[in-house]
Amino acid sequence: MEVSREIYWNVGHVVVLPMYLFAFAAIAVFIWGFYRRTSTYRLGKSLNRFDHWPQRFWLVARNALVQLRVLKVLLPGSLHSLFFWGFGVLFIGTLLVMAQSDFFDLLFHIKFLQGGFYEFFSLALDLAGLVALLMLGGLLVRRFIVRPKGLETIRDDYLVHALLFAILLTGFVIEGVRMAVTEIGSNPDLARFSPVGYLFAEAFRGLSASQLESLHKVLWWVHFFLAVGFIAAIPFTKLRHIFTATANYFFSDLSPKGTLATIDLEDESAEQFGAATVSDLTWKDIFDADACTSCKRCQDRCPAWSTDKPLSPMKVVQQIGEVAFSAPEANLCETVTSDVLWSCTTCRACQEICPVSIEHVNKIIEMRRNLSLMEGAFAGDEVRTAINNFEVNGNPFGLAYASRGEWAEGLDVQLMEEGADVDILYFAGCYASFDQRNQVVARSFVKICNSAGVKVGILGKQEKCCGEPARKLGNEYLYQTMAQENIETIKGYGGRVRQIVTTCPHCYNTLARDYQDLGLTIPVEHSTTFIAGLLQEGRLTLTPEPFEFTYHDSCYLGRYMDIFDQPRAVLAAAGGRLSEMDKSGPESFCCGGGGGRILADETLGRRINEERVHMAEATSAPLLVSNCPFCLTMFEDGIKTAGCEERLRAGDLAEIVAARLATTSTEETGP
Amino acid sequence: MKALLICEYREGQLLESTYELLAFAGQLGADTAMVLVGDAANTPRYGGKVYLADAATYGEYNPAVHKGLVLAAVEKESPDYIIFQHSSYGWDLAPRVAAALKSAQVSEVIGIVDGGFETGACNGKMRRTVKPATARVVLTIQAGAFTFEGEPQGTPQVEKLDFEGPANVQFVGYEPAEAKEVDLTRAEVIVSAGRGIGKQDNVPVIAALAKAISGELGASRPVVDAGWVEHSRQVGITGQTVSPKLYIACGISGAIQHLAGMKKSDFIVAINKDKDAPIGETADVLVVADVMKFAPALTAKLQR
Amino acid sequence: MKILVCIKQVPDMESRFKPDGAGLWFSEQDLAFRVNEYDEYAVEEAVQLREQLGDAVDLTVLSIGPDRVVEALKKVLAMGCDRAVHVQDPQAALKDPWQIAAIIAAFARDKGFELIFTGMQSQDRGSAQVGVALAEQLGIPSVTTIVAFDYADGAVTVKRELEGGIKGVVKLSAPALLTCQSGLNVPRYPTLPNIMKAKRKELLTVPVAELLHEEALATTASFHPPAKKGGGIVLEGDVAEMADQLIAILKEKTTILR
Repeated sequence: MEVSREIYWNVGHVVVLPMYLFAFAAIAVFIWGFYRRTSTYRLGKSLNRFDHWPQRFWLVARNALVQLRVLKVLLPGSLHSLFFWGFGVLFIGTLLVMAQSDFFDLLFHIKFLQGGFYEFFSLALDLAGLVALLMLGGLLVRRFIVRPKGLETIRDDYLVHALLFAILLTGFVIEGVRMAVTEIGSNPDLARFSPVGYLFAEAFRGLSASQLESLHKVLWWVHFFLAVGFIAAIPFTKLRHIFTATANYFFSDLSPKGTLATIDLEDESAEQFGAATVSDLTWKDIFDADACTSCKRCQDRCPAWSTDKPLSPMKVVQQIGEVAFSAPEANLCETVTSDVLWSCTTCRACQEICPVSIEHVNKIIEMRRNLSLMEGAFAGDEVRTAINNFEVNGNPFGLAYASRGEWAEGLDVQLMEEGADVDILYFAGCYASFDQRNQVVARSFVKICNSAGVKVGILGKQEKCCGEPARKLGNEYLYQTMAQENIETIKGYGGRVRQIVTTCPHCYNTLARDYQDLGLTIPVEHSTTFIAGLLQEGRLTLTPEPFEFTYHDSCYLGRYMDIFDQPRAVLAAAGGRLSEMDKSGPESFCCGGGGGRILADETLGRRINEERVHMAEATSAPLLVSNCPFCLTMFEDGIKTAGCEERLRAGDLAEIVAARLATTSTEETGP
Repeated sequence: MKALLICEYREGQLLESTYELLAFAGQLGADTAMVLVGDAANTPRYGGKVYLADAATYGEYNPAVHKGLVLAAVEKESPDYIIFQHSSYGWDLAPRVAAALKSAQVSEVIGIVDGGFETGACNGKMRRTVKPATARVVLTIQAGAFTFEGEPQGTPQVEKLDFEGPANVQFVGYEPAEAKEVDLTRAEVIVSAGRGIGKQDNVPVIAALAKAISGELGASRPVVDAGWVEHSRQVGITGQTVSPKLYIACGISGAIQHLAGMKKSDFIVAINKDKDAPIGETADVLVVADVMKFAPALTAKLQR
Repeated sequence: MKILVCIKQVPDMESRFKPDGAGLWFSEQDLAFRVNEYDEYAVEEAVQLREQLGDAVDLTVLSIGPDRVVEALKKVLAMGCDRAVHVQDPQAALKDPWQIAAIIAAFARDKGFELIFTGMQSQDRGSAQVGVALAEQLGIPSVTTIVAFDYADGAVTVKRELEGGIKGVVKLSAPALLTCQSGLNVPRYPTLPNIMKAKRKELLTVPVAELLHEEALATTASFHPPAKKGGGIVLEGDVAEMADQLIAILKEKTTILR
């Protein structure tokens, strides 16, 4: 028996012309629908996301085809991915059918949908369709019955579910009807390769051949119009994400994480700094709104949203799109509101998890730049005070800059200006320099270096704030001023500074990445990886002393720099037994101090630091270890205000290691 | 040596600062006379001469005219020193008198030393000895720096003082102080509660101490965050920055954000059971004790 | 209409001060400088008035001192002044308030300023004399310590801050001089466009010798730290005894409890 299928069976080749006409019409509508939107994207400033094609196509392959980002959240992710692959297989199958009947067979009399290949083809499509149908069912149950908190269901969702169900079901029904006539009776061996179709065909056993043929003809056109309707609907509904998300993978930001545009402050013609309207953002910022499918993964992980603050990263992204498409002249900062904008800690949880590679954080910072630089606005009076303090004394506390190096008194540390030879420049940062609790960390780090025979130099009173909190709050001018001064000071020491190490992840990110734009190219390392390196090289030996702990991956070390394993290895070498929190690694939950918010009062919602402290408590570990001065400060505060002092202590990796050095030291440090 | 003391009078009352002027003149070893723009029913308890100008005629705030009155008295007394309180009345009027006489003025004097007068500088962190170069000197003295020993007594010999000359401002009247929304920046004494007080129920104990010492209740950040005390009482980098004459920190460890907000206090007392609490390094006196035991004891003694 | 605001650049009060070599003023080593806090209120009020009255107002900021005061002038220009005058004097710290007032008076006398704003005192010397002395030398009325200001057609209404939180309401006519107290306003943070515009505003440099024709009426004999308090006192032991000891210390070392 013929192992094949008659294409256009029953409907006849007479359908081909109208079919293609309608298909082209649908495609024309599809193209026009997207084209219409491009004029709105182009309201934004230009941005080159068309370089490095191989890398970009690779991202498309990983994310659109293999769906890696979607699968980061496994349950709903796999429902989507399996559905997508299933539907994709069906689509390819349809294309193969059209290719054979309207091209290869028509022109060259080549048929490939036959024999073994056709059997495989049939089975594959049937299974794909079944998987797609089941996954769609699962997605429907999730959206309409389970109803995850915060998941918004809009008109588009109803439409898409209905449309996709209809396409899949009509497809199977048509197959069943066809098989009932052409295969069940006459070619049962072949029918085995379409098991689902077989089941449907059984349902139509009672109908006569002519009834089946009429039904088939009708359903064929129904299915066809659903399909072309689907194509035409894509640009006008959430379905557009099929293309916009794929494009978004292509348009990914290939620069190091956290890279911000460095404003050219010498440009005398510039009249607007930061984003007041959508035209001040880039086209990509507007395009991002079109890629968003309201999956709310970003919102779910936002520490601000989780503590009842008004910031939802998803909402901000969508608002930009709404404004761009409906009222592009509107003031963005007023639409989004200051409370929302100032609530962000730039923790990057939103961007790391977004399945369609939307870039949330920089939009917020651009709007903050407008607030700071154009309006002289602050997140609060206390922030204004801190900013003034930066300007006068180079630290947020308003303490005399001349005392910045005093934490190092009595330690084996060289002041760079005294000329000695050093192995590393230790950039202490404001908190390690001035805050009593964090000075312990600075001293611990020096002790560790001494033990490893690493000569440490510091800038002392020549050091100023790296500028990061000011930059993240939008005050690019103050950031660049302080940064330039630091860079000039460091460069002034020429070849004497070969490597910079810092105990603060914010200084680390800023010196290693942001300062590159301003001309600093010296390698920068964070103390955790530096210590890990010393251990590995055998330059540092520890006498482990056991302790139980849980570890907090700070945002600027974890998500920004992908440093997760080395600190854990160091703590294990120190004798630590780790009980991980649920939210750890890339899913770590912010302490609340980032984005310049360490300078601000938390007046809205609940306290982020207390939230994290409770997560630490839940592990039953008595010690919460972090590696960032902001985290340490937030946790010390949070432990007190949450009333957990009896059950939990906060510590820093450096002080733990310093208490376990194999070379003896009688100085008391850390827990 | 002769000193002409300029009294203060407000809302129908002679201000007690008058006696501080007397105390200072006493330290100077000068004979005294006084000028008062006030009323005959409210003259100082003082046995010397008082040049009295009628406040009803000349107004309580009328700098050009008061200057004229003072100069008229200067004409009669030929004093070596003309002494004002360093107050909103004194620092407004003294430079006018000094300018008219082209005399040196030394402001906010806190002491008399060999070769001149001692004043503060740099927010009270340093001292400056000022040497006037003119024979006649105008001085303003710091409020509270000179105290009159014992009880002032005496009935003055009053001489009427007049001046004819135009006013160049018009005093409309007084506005009473606003109902409190706490402004700690103006407080002279602040007693702050920190986490060491233990729990919210203990806040009244600290408030009682504040009241007993005529101070304002302040708080460190964790206490405000915990909702034990309202935010307007928060002292520290994200609260209010204060510089009272006396700051008593109860159960406050001395985290930098708090210290930065009260370091400028003239005198700092810390009560903390931890002898090594960081605040000990900044405090003038560290009382090593449980706050909840010490504060009530101190309050009780103050109330006696 | 022309307005003048006088500012002084002072060290940040968080600094640790040491007498200079001559022992007459502070050493500038390791000091961070800023605009005198009270002068910031003066600037802000002048800028607000300028915004209220529009382009008919020309606002000049003046400061006396060495070259480092240019930075302070730039900041004030960025807050909204139109032009700056730098009276160049590397030895400004040795001039007494009378001389400082005379220098400014020499500059201002023929300019016809409708209003002059100054801070009520400087944070470093704190003599609170220059403002009023300047007004007296120019022969114009002045009011000190204002916490509210209103101007309409030459008529000025201000509120003075008095002890105890009471305010005194005073009316006067321009030309006049006002000295400003904290609480008058919240000084604005310069926006970046204004910082950039400030770079192009006029900065006039005048050597102090051209303006100073007065001798000092007083001099600084010595600038020194206060006598050591003897380090922090630590009280330990019986609670009641410590309470007595503390009260005694407070009576001795502070003016509280008198």
